[in-house]
Amino acid sequence: MNRTGGIALLALAAGLALAGGLWLYPWSGSAKPDSGSVVPLMAASLPDMEGRLQPLAQWQGKVMVVNFWATWCKPCLEEIPEFVRMQEKLGDQGLQFVGIAVDNAVKVREFSVKYHINYPILIGEIDAIELARAAGNELGGLPFTVILDRKGRLIGTELGGLNEQKLTPRIQPAL
Amino acid sequence: MSQRIAAKVLANLLLAACAACALSAAAADDLLAPEQAFEFSARLVEPGLVEVRYRIANGYYMYRDKFRFTAIPQSAGLGEARFPPGKVKEDEFFGRVETYRGELVIRLPVKSGGGFTLKAVSQGCADVGVCYIPVTQTARLAPARSSGEALKFQAKASDLLLQSQDAGLSR
Repeated sequence: MNRTGGIALLALAAGLALAGGLWLYPWSGSAKPDSGSVVPLMAASLPDMEGRLQPLAQWQGKVMVVNFWATWCKPCLEEIPEFVRMQEKLGDQGLQFVGIAVDNAVKVREFSVKYHINYPILIGEIDAIELARAAGNELGGLPFTVILDRKGRLIGTELGGLNEQKLTPRIQPAL
Repeated sequence: MSQRIAAKVLANLLLAACAACALSAAAADDLLAPEQAFEFSARLVEPGLVEVRYRIANGYYMYRDKFRFTAIPQSAGLGEARFPPGKVKEDEFFGRVETYRGELVIRLPVKSGGGFTLKAVSQGCADVGVCYIPVTQTARLAPARSSGEALKFQAKASDLLLQSQDAGLSR
């Protein structure tokens, strides 16, 4: 095989592998832009830690990162410091994290204080998981994160832990 | 020369793409539904003793302190659950935690001689970094009637004896 032929074959293999990777990637729980509906989520109102009902739609106009979590979920607790840092850094540019705790208020309050959470936390109790299911989290796993653009449209979801490095490229184009 | 550079770039792309494949395979796409990850069954193995069994799939684990058992009606009189020893570790968030993998058998004493419904709440996670919300599963339990069932019953009861000895050592 001559060199040009070899490169062409390599290019084809690389192309196929990349396509395979890109095809598989959404199935990793990442970037499932069309797999669910955020209509129930954006129509929902949930109590904050003081018990005041907060409509999710109030943050429309910002790039929203809605994170479903619980204090008993270790991978959830691991990613929260990353969110706190990103909220601090990118809040001025229109990034808004909102935490929905699938948990009870007492535990959530305790954790929020301890970890200096600087974005709104709403108390969803166990029923909030239905909002996550509607948004594409069929298994009801946590953590689960929904990313919405300024018009409230679903950009992507993630089942499992996120960090700044993984999240930044996904929100940056919408900011 | 430029062809060689192009080949190198493509080879690197290929490597990067394969790394992405490997990552995908290990991630959340393979997650089982909770009832498959934590396969539940329960039965009366002898009068006054319920055996609850969880077959925990590879790559999944359950937390001991998250199990809750109740009987419907409550008058069935469920006693305190007896757990085998799990894996104990000090967690940075939760302090001392005990978890189970593989097969888990929990014994529950019960006063009722008649039938009742057992409601079991459990919670577990997958190693890929996803936790399931607490799952409630139920089983209708009734005393064995036929002699065949009674034999099965005895075999199971001796298995249980071994388990209870193991559990006894840990306390």
